[in-house]
Amino acid sequence: MAGSLTWLVQAGILASAVQRMAADPGDVAAGLLAAAGFLLAGVVRAGCDAWGARLSFQVARRRLSALRAAAVDALAGGSPLDKRRPAAGHAASVLAEQADAALPYLARYPAIQLKILVVPLAILAAVAPLSWVAALVLLASAPLIPVFMALVGWRAQRASQAHLAEMGTLNAFLLDRLRGLATLRALDAVDATTGRLAYVAQTLRTRTMAVLRIAFLSSAVLELFSAIGVAMVAVYVGFHLLGTLPFGTWGSPLTLGQGLFVLLLAPSFFEPLRDLSTAWHDRAAGRAALEALRALSSAPSKLVGGAAPFPPSGNTPAHRPPPAVELVQLRFAHADAAPSVIGGLHLRVASGERVAITGPSGAGKSTLLALIAGLVPAQSGAVVIDGVTLDDQSAPRLRARMAWIGQKPHVFAGTLGANVALGRPDVDAQAVGHALEAATLEQLAGREAGRPLGESGIGLSGGECLRLAMARAAAAPGSDLWLADEPTAHLDAATARELTRRLLAQSAGRTLIVATHDPELASHMDRVIDLAALRPAPADTEMAALAAVGAAS
Amino acid sequence: MKTSIHAVLRLFFADRRGLLWGGVALAALTVFAGMGLLGLSGWFITATALAGLAAGTALAFDVFTPGAGIRLLALVRTAGRYGERVVTHDAALAVIATLRPRLFAGWARPEAARRLLARPARLLFRLTADADALDALYLRLLVPAGAACAAIALVGVMLGVVSLPLGLAMAGWLLATGAGILAWTARRSRRAACRRAYAIEALRAQAIDLVSGQTELAMAGRLTAQCRMLARTEHRLAAADDTINRADAQGGFLQAMAGTMALAATLAACVLLVAGSAIGAPVAALALLLVLTSAEPLTPLRRGTLELGRTLLAIRRLAPRLDAPEAAPARAASGDILIEHASLRHDSRPGLSTNVALEGITLAIRPGERVAVIGPSGAGKSTLLALVAGERLPSSGRVLAPASCLLTQRTELFQDSVRDNLRLARPDAGDDALWAALRAAGLDQAIAALPAGLDTRLGEGGLGLSAGQARRLALARLFLRPTQLWLLDEPTEGLDAPTARDVIARLAGQARDHTLLIATHIRREAVLADRIVVLAAGTVAADLRRGTPAFDHRLHTLRPD
Repeated sequence: MAGSLTWLVQAGILASAVQRMAADPGDVAAGLLAAAGFLLAGVVRAGCDAWGARLSFQVARRRLSALRAAAVDALAGGSPLDKRRPAAGHAASVLAEQADAALPYLARYPAIQLKILVVPLAILAAVAPLSWVAALVLLASAPLIPVFMALVGWRAQRASQAHLAEMGTLNAFLLDRLRGLATLRALDAVDATTGRLAYVAQTLRTRTMAVLRIAFLSSAVLELFSAIGVAMVAVYVGFHLLGTLPFGTWGSPLTLGQGLFVLLLAPSFFEPLRDLSTAWHDRAAGRAALEALRALSSAPSKLVGGAAPFPPSGNTPAHRPPPAVELVQLRFAHADAAPSVIGGLHLRVASGERVAITGPSGAGKSTLLALIAGLVPAQSGAVVIDGVTLDDQSAPRLRARMAWIGQKPHVFAGTLGANVALGRPDVDAQAVGHALEAATLEQLAGREAGRPLGESGIGLSGGECLRLAMARAAAAPGSDLWLADEPTAHLDAATARELTRRLLAQSAGRTLIVATHDPELASHMDRVIDLAALRPAPADTEMAALAAVGAAS
Repeated sequence: MKTSIHAVLRLFFADRRGLLWGGVALAALTVFAGMGLLGLSGWFITATALAGLAAGTALAFDVFTPGAGIRLLALVRTAGRYGERVVTHDAALAVIATLRPRLFAGWARPEAARRLLARPARLLFRLTADADALDALYLRLLVPAGAACAAIALVGVMLGVVSLPLGLAMAGWLLATGAGILAWTARRSRRAACRRAYAIEALRAQAIDLVSGQTELAMAGRLTAQCRMLARTEHRLAAADDTINRADAQGGFLQAMAGTMALAATLAACVLLVAGSAIGAPVAALALLLVLTSAEPLTPLRRGTLELGRTLLAIRRLAPRLDAPEAAPARAASGDILIEHASLRHDSRPGLSTNVALEGITLAIRPGERVAVIGPSGAGKSTLLALVAGERLPSSGRVLAPASCLLTQRTELFQDSVRDNLRLARPDAGDDALWAALRAAGLDQAIAALPAGLDTRLGEGGLGLSAGQARRLALARLFLRPTQLWLLDEPTEGLDAPTARDVIARLAGQARDHTLLIATHIRREAVLADRIVVLAAGTVAADLRRGTPAFDHRLHTLRPD
């Protein structure tokens, strides 16, 4: 900013030096002095520009870090059951590449905006006292500036959006076909697909160019105005100095130095406008990125207790009985669905009891488990574990006693051992070894020794993934309440039987609640609770629920 | 590295040489016009001022030629800028249109494809990011570099006409400082640009772990730890960004200083030349304004060099995939499959004592035979299929097989219409043939019930179809394929029992005179076969034919549904 204004000084020095050369060619000392002055002003200008760029970058970068951190915290603290939650791929793309696009916008745009307000005015203020005609020529284009800004702005924005969208399409096409490469090779369709890809890229090129031509044309108009502005100032000043156009100044005619000064300032008058039109692309991408980050940062449904870590395990009693679980008047409905999934449920699971929750899909089996784990808050009612009500305060302490076996466990980037330990400070190599044994994964551990597992579990069968989940549970030091969500749903019969056997073996001395529609697994439990039967009649909700529990037990 | 850059440049300039150079030339023309506009204006003003001082010459002064010149240059500059943008963007899009298909063809080669399939998401993301970074090579580096060279050349020539030493010195100075500062900026930011690319990849992977694995992390009390890990990665990213920005700001400062020094030196030289009556003040004004405007194309070039590290990384990673695809493996003329003493070793991996996948396999399969290959996981079933398909070449021994069609274990469908998904198998198939194949696969009614029928677009990975329907669509593709040999890799894996049984029945119905090679460990799939080959640890442990007690015994040891 200050740098741009220093140019006024430099232009003045340069113009007066030329004047002196014309008037008094012999005055070498004054000329060299002017050169030195110019150099000095140049140092100031370059320094100001560089310093200003660094400052605005640092401010913008800090802001981006804060925005990313807010989005990460919201993702960590939101409920995994919230249907409005973004998909993992989308969240990753917003956090990584899209957020990155916000940086040029945050760093450069405010400076350009300020420049466009101050620099043209300062130049007008410098030119007007010398020649009102030159100022008028510049000013005449000033009211056009907002018009062209708007014109260039939305044209460029539409063009860049269209361009980005099409690029996205092309990349998506490439990704989609590469994902199915095995099939394409098997069908001998690689050449055909290459041809198709080339064809899509060519049509894309034609379409994008049609949009871009319009965008470039409108910015060419801006360019034309600035070039004509400079040319008109030059021609006016020239004819004025020649004496053909004697009007336009305040009394005395312009000197050569003043004329050159005006000419040197003319391009700078239009410069901020050109900066703006090139920054417009940054602006569109940046605003979209900020919007997307903001959307990530709003988690309407929260994890009970948020992302808080567990308390240190040191002060837990050595031999405590596994917890009893009591559900009191529990009620839950998804935000967008009016009928409640779970309406006024009463249930008591005794210490060390093994219970199967059954019912058709959609009866709320998985939701019930998630409510017990505090993965989603209940609308009303309470979950009481070992006499303690689950709330934001108690959740980390209670969750430290739980272990979760989901139906589609996530496999993290890392080795099998790291996938079992999950970085828990109290799970050492020995505990991992025991856990792998308990889940009969030693063979896999031998096969995969120290190698990172394939991405999202490629190379692991469905059964191996579930045994991995079980190993994670077995490694948890103080876990005495196990929650298993349809652990046999995606397995063939033989593997399911094997998994059931291991689950029963591991559940000794623990309270186990399994959501399942596998009759064989359910038959091995101490008690089976049919959620469909519990589904309250509209008239007498509580009585029906209580009656159903009584019947089941 | 050098050969990699050559490979990429060759690709760029192979068929669009004219367009690409045209873009650079237009960029140079625009810069010329911009410099000329200001230079001529300066000369004009100074000359008119001198002429105006002497009353006599004022009338005789030719104002029209320079006046018209100024107006012409203003128009040329505008038109040049427009033309430059249109041509360079068209050229860049042309590069994209060449690059993406070439990359695809490169990655589709067997050995590359295998690597890609092992770690799809991360590698695929990296691939598109790299392709985008390569595009910048032309727009952000080559075009501004051409314009900058043209600007320096113009300064050199014009000043050289005024005074040869001044012209040479100025061009030399601008060239040396320009190249030096850019090289310095590129070197300062190169590592950081790579670190930045890696940090973004890490951020992405950790964000996916956070969202997809949130339940696991929450139940292990590790959410805060994961957030902290993301914060550390973001910190690394910020540090890399900061290094790049510092290099940018310092490079900008140096560029501005070099420009100011050039201008101050020109001013001093002009003062001396004017004092010595070698030139007049108007020419001095022209010289000053030319030097002033010559710095304009250097700023975009600096931005380009900041990303040079990233671009080089992309080049290094992508160039091996840009070579011409290799020839297809030789196919047997007859329908026999002949495997003689074939062995195959995996690429050696650390931590694995044995890396032999297949060892001394000898096997002959007559046309029309139906063979089940069984054995525990890791015995080499899929590898044997890959050998027969020509996807892998034996490390030793010989494999002769006719053209085949492989039904892959995972069903892969594409974001395209049902029709185009089917036509992958036979591009010239008419709708009648497609419907016949769908009927044979038991999917005709489901497709006919869709409002758009064959034109229905499938979502990502065949979204919109159930697992069973997707499998049937893959089956229809197999039926469309005019090859005599079918390779089936666990054809009913992951299907519920009734669907699996129906799929097997339909396969049996369509198989008639096809040769079948089925990799399986499930009884319902093996019953299709009349010969069982048992693989154990990469060797043939048994070769059994239907009708023998051993065959029946083997069949019954296999897992039921």
